[in-house]
Amino acid sequence: MTAGADDPVLAHPGQDVGPDDLGQPLLRMTGIVKEFPGVRALDGVELSVLPGEVHCLLGQNGAGKSTLIKVLAGAHRPDHGEILWRGEPAVLASPVAALRLGIATMYQELDLVPGLSVAENVFLGHERSRFGFSRRGAARAEAAALMRRLGHAEIPPEREVGLLSAAGQQLVSMARALAHDARLIVMDEPTAALASDEVDNLFRIVGELAADGVSVVYISHRLEEIRRIGSRVTVLKDGRTVASGLPAGTPTGELVNLMSGRQVSTVFPVREESAADERVEVLKVEGLTRAGEFADVSFTVHAGEVLGIAGLVGAGRSEILETVFGARRPDAGTVSVDGVRLKPGSVSAAVKAGIGLAPEERKSQGLLLDLPVAHNVTLASLGTYSTAGFTDRAREMADSRAVLEKLELRPADPRRLVGTFSGGNQQKAVVARWLVRGCRVLLLDEPTRGVDVGARAELYRLVHELAADGVAVVLVSSEVPEVLGLADRVLVLREGEVLADRPAAELTEADVLDIVMEGSAATELAGVAEEASS
Amino acid sequence: MSVAAQAPPADERVGKPGVLDRLVVRPEIGSLLGALLVFLFFSVVTEQFLSPGGVATWLDDASTLGIMAVAVSLLMIGGEFDLSAGVMTASTALVTAILSTQLGWNVWLALLVSLLFALGVGALNGWLVMRTGLPSFIVTLGTFLALQGLNLGITRAVTGTVQVSGMRSTDGYSSAGFLFASTFTFGGTSFYISIVWWILFTVVASTVLVRTRFGNWIFAVGGSALSSRAVGVPVMRTKIFLFMTTAFAAWLVGSINILRFTSVQANQGIGLEFQFIIAAVIGGCLLTGGFGSAVGAAIGALIFGMARQGIVYANWNSDWFQLFLGVMLLSAVLVNNALRRRAERVRR
Ligand SMILES: Nc1ncnc2c1ncn2[C@@H]1O[C@H](COP(=O)(O)OP(=O)(O)OP(=O)(O)O)[C@@H](O)[C@H]1O
Ligand SMILES: [Mg+2]
Repeated sequence: MTAGADDPVLAHPGQDVGPDDLGQPLLRMTGIVKEFPGVRALDGVELSVLPGEVHCLLGQNGAGKSTLIKVLAGAHRPDHGEILWRGEPAVLASPVAALRLGIATMYQELDLVPGLSVAENVFLGHERSRFGFSRRGAARAEAAALMRRLGHAEIPPEREVGLLSAAGQQLVSMARALAHDARLIVMDEPTAALASDEVDNLFRIVGELAADGVSVVYISHRLEEIRRIGSRVTVLKDGRTVASGLPAGTPTGELVNLMSGRQVSTVFPVREESAADERVEVLKVEGLTRAGEFADVSFTVHAGEVLGIAGLVGAGRSEILETVFGARRPDAGTVSVDGVRLKPGSVSAAVKAGIGLAPEERKSQGLLLDLPVAHNVTLASLGTYSTAGFTDRAREMADSRAVLEKLELRPADPRRLVGTFSGGNQQKAVVARWLVRGCRVLLLDEPTRGVDVGARAELYRLVHELAADGVAVVLVSSEVPEVLGLADRVLVLREGEVLADRPAAELTEADVLDIVMEGSAATELAGVAEEASS
Repeated sequence: MSVAAQAPPADERVGKPGVLDRLVVRPEIGSLLGALLVFLFFSVVTEQFLSPGGVATWLDDASTLGIMAVAVSLLMIGGEFDLSAGVMTASTALVTAILSTQLGWNVWLALLVSLLFALGVGALNGWLVMRTGLPSFIVTLGTFLALQGLNLGITRAVTGTVQVSGMRSTDGYSSAGFLFASTFTFGGTSFYISIVWWILFTVVASTVLVRTRFGNWIFAVGGSALSSRAVGVPVMRTKIFLFMTTAFAAWLVGSINILRFTSVQANQGIGLEFQFIIAAVIGGCLLTGGFGSAVGAAIGALIFGMARQGIVYANWNSDWFQLFLGVMLLSAVLVNNALRRRAERVRR
């Protein structure tokens, strides 16, 4: 992240902690064990958090991070283990007990009530009330103040939360944690849904909290973030603590090695030789417009080409993919596959033409949580697994097992219900669905959100393989290095407008961020953009 | 950070919605329009409908249904159903009637025991739903059948028939009757006191729902019980209380009925549970929970009452009522749906 270089947050709050405090951790968890039917999610975890530090928790998908923080939040009861809070043994029997002690949690899967307003969500469970009557004015004013503090005064406290974007909901979740006046705030992958400017904003808040003596437990798969805000690091692997209290400056390679027990050389993909075949136009989008979301978007993706779309959250990236996929009806413009124009606003037409979409919101749009992974993976391609209406379960199982092994699903059992998998592993199932189906055009919306470093590298390799097979890929990602490394060509969006369409090799991360933030990068860039779109 | 301030996500920067759009997002708007239409329709096609006596009749018809619909709407907003609510109105009446006519208890005491019985059944419904994690549809279907059997079995065992009568000659009948079944005169026309109970119940329920912290919990547990629990909302207590509220309403309606008609059939009340749900849905409640309005449900019941009596005044065969009901239900839901869509678009 380029913005990191001059970021005020760089001063590590944890390093200011005096030696006295070092002896007295705010929280100390020892020997924590938690079993689910068939899995030992935690197997003797240790975690010790000092006052005012940003303690990072690292680990692969399924390592047990979320389970650990759920124990800390009082949502799960540990089977064994001891928890010391400010030196005293504590029992976290319920969420309320944890909140009373001063532990507030932002869960990985956003945990808001969509039908309630922003203010109601922020104060849910600890309502501002007098004699049982809500003090809605007070709640609204306080919620507004919190949103201002979070740098988003434009989100009105009476807005229904279900109508906010993922980033907006993340902010509400953050505001709720702040509203509790907690001594320890736990954040489970808070940046997964955020674009880089939002991440900066979050880090500013985290810095302020730490300066106020509030401790933060921070989970993320983006290792570069650890170095920006972390004080110390604890690494989990298969439900055990493999390293604790490491300095945040520990080299990436070493951390990855600890997490996975193997060497992963780079986090982001390295550009490979493009497989694009300029002669075959697979996907052609012309003048696509939806009022208020995006306007006049045109692009072509050739066989074997990877088109990256960069832009802020809310710039209309997901909306464009959904419109191409037929899930939204365009106000104007056309989508064609292999020269055949698709019926607008029809998902079945899009799927028939060979378009696949791995959506951003896996829980609400992607997965049937109560079904086994295998069924989820083959859902889009049931036709190929059935003869005369009967599904060939054995082949279904074998194929999904193969893809999931490639993606390193953990635990590697396609029969388990999707809902019992960790966040990152669920994401893999969403992507696997379209890998099994085999499409002409694959639309990937934030495919690596919440996916760990090792599995990410594998996913990148799969995308390259698909491209080499002649599939046209469109990739939306908030992580600019990912777009630049994976894509052959990059479309940069800002507020629903295409500002640049250029070969990825000609762009740097700084260029993209400039366009995304300012709308106009260096003038030469604008020139190129015009050239490209003409 | 300055960057963030310059470029907030585009979709959250829309201005405030106008008055019309804010009105349109109210859950009860569909039922209000429906009530207006039905009212105008029968005012034009029949003469009795607007006469004071006519008004008193359809208000009375709506009142007992309305009390139940309001309670059921709270329960539905909280994400649950109660199929035993209809039979409960008979069970409570039967308990009161048997205790006072057969055992010679004072009516007030009988009413108290009947109330405790109702609250107990409500609590049991809620507890079973929360403990087993089964859908309330199934659990209360069980209580529905059980109560139906109890009503018939016990009535027959005690009286030898399937009805209990003779309330008029019991101790305390006149004072209890005054509270639950008397009439009062307003502008020269006499109205049943049940109308007052209905209005009172609606006002209290609506105030609790939109003004209190408990009301907030009702929306929250219906919208997402898991998320609510994670932030410390007492989900179990809230839902059990809602089942008990429904049972309380059934007791109120049962008491009104037994004191007014002085007799009760053991098979009364069956099938009413769907009318309560229909009225609540016309009033804007979602079957999925987390959204709805108590006032809307009261208006839904009003539509019922107006239509049922209007059809009588128009001298139509009452067979048409069901057809009317079906059309009303579908159009109210469609209107509610369309308006909500529009509201979402406006707010996006
Ligand atoms: N409710 C549950 N029932 C059964 N198994 C569960 C449940 N919750 C978690 N697990 C299992 O526990 C293990 C740890 O999961 P957890 O969610 O803690 O991983 P994580 O480290 O947070 O991973 P990610 O980075 O993907 O979010 C996984 O194997 C998961 O399948
Ligand atoms: Mg997790």
